[in-house]
Amino acid sequence: MHNIFGGIAQGVVYALVALSLVIIWQSTHVLNFAQGAMAMFATYIGMTEIDRGLGYWWCVIISVAVGMALGGLTERVLIRPLYGKPEINPIVVMVGFLGVLEALAAAIWTSTTRNIPEPFSQIFYHSQGNLVYLSPFIIFQVILALGIMLVVAALFRFTPLGLQLRASALAPEVSRLLGIRVSRMLTFGWMLSAGVGCIAAVIQASGSFGLFPTDMDGIFVAGFIAAAVGGLESPFGAVCGGLLIGLAEQFILSYWSPNVAPLGGIIILVIALMIRPQGLFTKTAGRRV
Amino acid sequence: MQGWRTFLRQESTHSRLIGVGALTLVTLAITIILPPVANSDLAGGAAIAVVILGLSWLIGWSGQISLGNSGFMAVGAYAAGVWAHHHATTPLIFTLALATVIGGISGLIIAIPSTRLRGPYLAGLTLAFAAAVTPIAQNFTSITGGEGGIFMNSLTTPGWFGGFFHGVNASINANAQWTADLAVVVAGVAFFFMANLFHSRSGRAMRLVRDNDVAAELMGVNLSRARSSAFMVAAAYAGLGGAMYSLLEASVRPETFPLTLSITLLTLMVLGGIGTLSGAVLGGIIYSFSPDLVSWVNSLTGVNPTSNLGANMQGIIFGLLLILTMLFVPRGLVSIISPLRKLVGSLRARPPASSAAKL
Repeated sequence: MHNIFGGIAQGVVYALVALSLVIIWQSTHVLNFAQGAMAMFATYIGMTEIDRGLGYWWCVIISVAVGMALGGLTERVLIRPLYGKPEINPIVVMVGFLGVLEALAAAIWTSTTRNIPEPFSQIFYHSQGNLVYLSPFIIFQVILALGIMLVVAALFRFTPLGLQLRASALAPEVSRLLGIRVSRMLTFGWMLSAGVGCIAAVIQASGSFGLFPTDMDGIFVAGFIAAAVGGLESPFGAVCGGLLIGLAEQFILSYWSPNVAPLGGIIILVIALMIRPQGLFTKTAGRRV
Repeated sequence: MQGWRTFLRQESTHSRLIGVGALTLVTLAITIILPPVANSDLAGGAAIAVVILGLSWLIGWSGQISLGNSGFMAVGAYAAGVWAHHHATTPLIFTLALATVIGGISGLIIAIPSTRLRGPYLAGLTLAFAAAVTPIAQNFTSITGGEGGIFMNSLTTPGWFGGFFHGVNASINANAQWTADLAVVVAGVAFFFMANLFHSRSGRAMRLVRDNDVAAELMGVNLSRARSSAFMVAAAYAGLGGAMYSLLEASVRPETFPLTLSITLLTLMVLGGIGTLSGAVLGGIIYSFSPDLVSWVNSLTGVNPTSNLGANMQGIIFGLLLILTMLFVPRGLVSIISPLRKLVGSLRARPPASSAAKL
């Protein structure tokens, strides 16, 4: 049971990162390698406000707001000039941005781990004298993540804004003809994605790991693997992939060997991609020559 | 067999041998006048230049992106380190060859699933590999020595070479110059092979694979074999460079190969110029001078080098350079330099036909 709750708790964090990658991928066909670092940076800006006596939830709101602003700014400044260029160019630029953000964070806030006061206790519940490996924090983590996912899903499916977002991702030319401000939608997609990623970073930093400049590296890699396993086109696949990776990691840790754990994600990715290179949850699409 | 013979007979192989050889000799001559510190910087730069060259081949010629070259470097470095630790008397060339081969094999293992992947998927997979290397090296303590790493004997300077040096710091000077010379020669050999690969049949095929894979397939190029062999070559070069790098340091430790090293490699490669020999040379030179570059920026901006900002200045500068180069000079410094060279060439009264024939 230990593994299941821990795995789900970690899995939802991966799922959020994967979801944020999928949102950007769908709208702009860029894989944002700085996603984790952007979220980390925004979390630093928001969460250090705790030092000034601001409450936890206000800090979360500041983090997410900063994250969204950073996302929108990144799209406007760094990504916009690269539309239509070879797909390597935005990858390289975002890798550079990742380096800048991590170095900058270490320069401003030092690389020592900073503990964020957890909003809920991390002490496990007891039931009839036995530990159940479930803490209020884990419940909070899972509920918050699932809530965010539902909000994103509802936004895309049921609101006019979501319709515009989907339309501009699917057929930018037609959308433009129909009067949708496509470029504004792309920026908004990046903001949304950065906000979702930021929630993941906040949860991660509030837990037992704490906040440090490279804390999202491993999370980003796992989130990417989750998105790739699910297929970068499918938000649902990304969420399932995240949970799968989180659970698999826990099982490898406890039943196999902690030494293999870093390789676990890669092994899953390789197997999944061998079976279906385009991801497990995407519809097969022909590539135009 | 026939292909190999005509390949050897090509005059351009000669000219490439002369070109790379001349550059190597000039660099060797420069090591004579450099102070020991600069020589060890140069040695590191030569090792890194080899890695950059492999990356340049992979991205520039085969169109595949790898963020995992720090991982391949680590594989080569550990191969060399483990071997040199247990068999201290092995000739250097054998250790380096072993690291190259094992690096290449690791590249092939990563390449087999990768050949089915495109752009971002591939970049992510290699990133995952690079991220996994450090914890693996830390965890498998029985082989890798864990956090502490492996220590090797430092490279010994042969007696005849030391004989050239006299004075107070004779042995230090001799050691520094010997290791620099060694690294430069290894890099020279690696560059010569790559120069030939660029212009070989597989090099041309690779460019077609990059630009139009369907056309390449129609021409009879086996796509997945071409892609995975490109990966293997890049990883072998990273393995060689990583082994050289760790031999210079006389130790291999997990934290020598962080994820940020991959970013640095990518920066240097893009900065120099993607897919060119001179770009890789430039990247190596920039790497050698990067401590000076960082301290120059620190002094220019008045930042205390021991402060937090000063300590992280390199990461900030390299990241910014990568972004700015990609946005404004995507073909690298080489693309700035080569028009200059053309200008100089046109100023000299040369018949235009010969310059056209050169292309």
